[in-house]
Amino acid sequence: MDLSRRGFLQAAVFTAAASGLTVACGGGSESGGTKNGKDLTLWYWGGALSDKVVAEAKTHFSGQIKLTSASIGGDFKQKLTTTLAAGGSSVPDITGIKGEDIASFLPNADRFLDLNDLGFNKISSQYLEWKTKLAQTKDGKQIGFPIDIGPTALFYRADLFDKAGLPTDPAKVAAEAKTWEDYFALGTELKKSQPGIFLVNNISSVFNIAVGQGTKRFIDEDNHFIGDQEHIRTAWETAIRPYTLGIDAKINDQTWNAAIGKNLATELGAAWHALDIESAAPGTKGKWRVCATPNGPANQGGSYLALPSQCRNPEEAFKIISWILSPDNNAKSYTDATIFPASPATYSMEAMTGPDAFFGGQKIIEVFGPAAEAIPVSYEAPADSAVMAPFMAELSSIEAKGKKPDDAWNDAVDQAKQIARRQGVN
Amino acid sequence: MASPPVTGSATVREHRGGPGPARFRPRRTPPAGAVRPKRRGVLSYWRQYLAISPFYLIFAGFSFVPVFYSLYLSFQRYDGLGTKQFVGLQQYEFLWNDPVFWLSIRNTLAIWVLSTVPTLFGALVLATLLHSVRRFKGFYRIALYVPNVTSIVAVAIFFGAVFSNNFGLVNAILGTVGIEPVPWLSNPWLIKVVIAALMTWMWTGYNMIIYLAGLQAIPQSVYEAAKMDGAGPVRTFFQITIPIMRPIILFTVVISTINGLQSFSEPQVLFASNAANANLGGPGQAGLTTLLYFYQSAFLDNDYGYGAAIVWAFFVLIIVLVVINWRIVQRGRKS
Repeated sequence: MDLSRRGFLQAAVFTAAASGLTVACGGGSESGGTKNGKDLTLWYWGGALSDKVVAEAKTHFSGQIKLTSASIGGDFKQKLTTTLAAGGSSVPDITGIKGEDIASFLPNADRFLDLNDLGFNKISSQYLEWKTKLAQTKDGKQIGFPIDIGPTALFYRADLFDKAGLPTDPAKVAAEAKTWEDYFALGTELKKSQPGIFLVNNISSVFNIAVGQGTKRFIDEDNHFIGDQEHIRTAWETAIRPYTLGIDAKINDQTWNAAIGKNLATELGAAWHALDIESAAPGTKGKWRVCATPNGPANQGGSYLALPSQCRNPEEAFKIISWILSPDNNAKSYTDATIFPASPATYSMEAMTGPDAFFGGQKIIEVFGPAAEAIPVSYEAPADSAVMAPFMAELSSIEAKGKKPDDAWNDAVDQAKQIARRQGVN
Repeated sequence: MASPPVTGSATVREHRGGPGPARFRPRRTPPAGAVRPKRRGVLSYWRQYLAISPFYLIFAGFSFVPVFYSLYLSFQRYDGLGTKQFVGLQQYEFLWNDPVFWLSIRNTLAIWVLSTVPTLFGALVLATLLHSVRRFKGFYRIALYVPNVTSIVAVAIFFGAVFSNNFGLVNAILGTVGIEPVPWLSNPWLIKVVIAALMTWMWTGYNMIIYLAGLQAIPQSVYEAAKMDGAGPVRTFFQITIPIMRPIILFTVVISTINGLQSFSEPQVLFASNAANANLGGPGQAGLTTLLYFYQSAFLDNDYGYGAAIVWAFFVLIIVLVVINWRIVQRGRKS
């Protein structure tokens, strides 16, 4: 008994020492790393890439590279940040970065390779300029290769429109809802004929899109706070309108899932939002249509692939990502996982031009394609989403407790200024 | 009055700490001229230290170092990847002037009170009822404890569905008796009530088990004596059970304070953020607890320095509340 206990202790000491040694080596061996490694790892999250195309990439490059992919669950950005900060051999050679996080990685662009050095500038014309620009530092370093985008549109229930005596044809609805005010007028009509039917699910979604339609956001390129200026104020006023008109469903919780098939006549959302509607309200199949967003398209979401500076084989890694994201393979990704590509050439391919049964056989690419290409080039600062947060919170306060819109605006601006100061914006 | 057996822990403590049993006493005053036994060095106990080291190494690596690293971070500006920049007390100055931080403190305290009071009271009542049950004891215990071992995420999603404003079960039931739908998940106070109800649901069983253990340690003779003196069940409960259970109740109060103030998962799951609205804590941020605000600042807004300042300020608040609790415990002991 005594002996076995000692043996146990010795084993424990050895294990501890060995693991310490491994950690030490893991940290050290990276410094002299060669740049023509044969084993590459790819990090993405479920739905970021088509698993089928990734599997094809593995076989396509199997002669030169052994590509291992890992689908990372949970808070992807957090895991990536921690891994990059820790360094070492666990840093992936290729990683996905979500569209909403890309701006916050730009101040640390030195953690990533400049894709232009690897030849991205030769093929960048195949991808939407505004999307590419969002993953570019001010001095032109390209850290992200666009995977997909989220061009917005107006989703609407043709059957409810019909009941209210409104046009149901996408082109006609688009013409009727050319501006925000026209669009809200449709809501008033709908409400008149069908009480209990709302036009928008909440006013934050209107604000989000209204801000996204412009070229300026909350912080300008000289790192100044501009969230209290005219363009944001206008977006705010636009968002308040459906609330004052009583056509706002004020849904800020998960009941959206239940409401979507019942009392929401329209939805403002990105291309991927079609899937949300389809899975939440399968019973409304064939009743939905899509048309252009009032006042012009915006973008919501859409991700990138990036190569961390530790990448063991930049040339091959770049070949792999440009293969996975080539316009042809993007078509496959769209068919397999409804990933809306950032390459306009794909929009005219067969995979995307087919009719969609959920939208009553409408060819929805005719709406999303032109929208994608019409989205303005805008500047999104690293602290942008943090500074935007109080505006969204105050809009939900208006809906939840009837806070006066003007008070809400003042509080939002005050808080946004504070957050901006905390984040080093002047 | 003889102290009841439940408070026996105090008597035990006297033996373990303090002056210690008599047989060790002579060492303190060695007889003159006697050779003082050579004190054994710390190193000679290396086996014992080694045996307990795994816990301390893990504790140091995963708790002690991060805790003090976060203190260091609270004086920096840091986005998680770039260079840290020393900013002195600036983060705390921001904190002092940040209305959202104070809102989160108010939310946390309100949710804590709303959940702890019914949890502990309900647990005590249930434990008393269960103590007198003759049949199916095991079944009741398990049934009441199950909520505590259920995944908090699952419970939160369930509560979200039950209390849903437009299509929830609660509003549907209220509707059948002609009551207008109640905005459970958008009214600032009802949001807190729902979160507190969720926490009550999860923690009542846990506290009940502790109380039940305490009740079983009360000798039957005390109750018999009370019965002979003519005390009814209610009077027995308030004048015998509660006074004897006092130390256990105070223990659960302390534990519930620590748990209740750290509510995080409940509002996070109940009011999950989405791409369109990255805010946490639901409409009007009425469910934004301090830890949730910390999470938002550090991990969503990449402001690690500010996040660290939030948790350290919150730590001070917890210390204050623990000291108040401790005072109550001490006063209980003396009387």
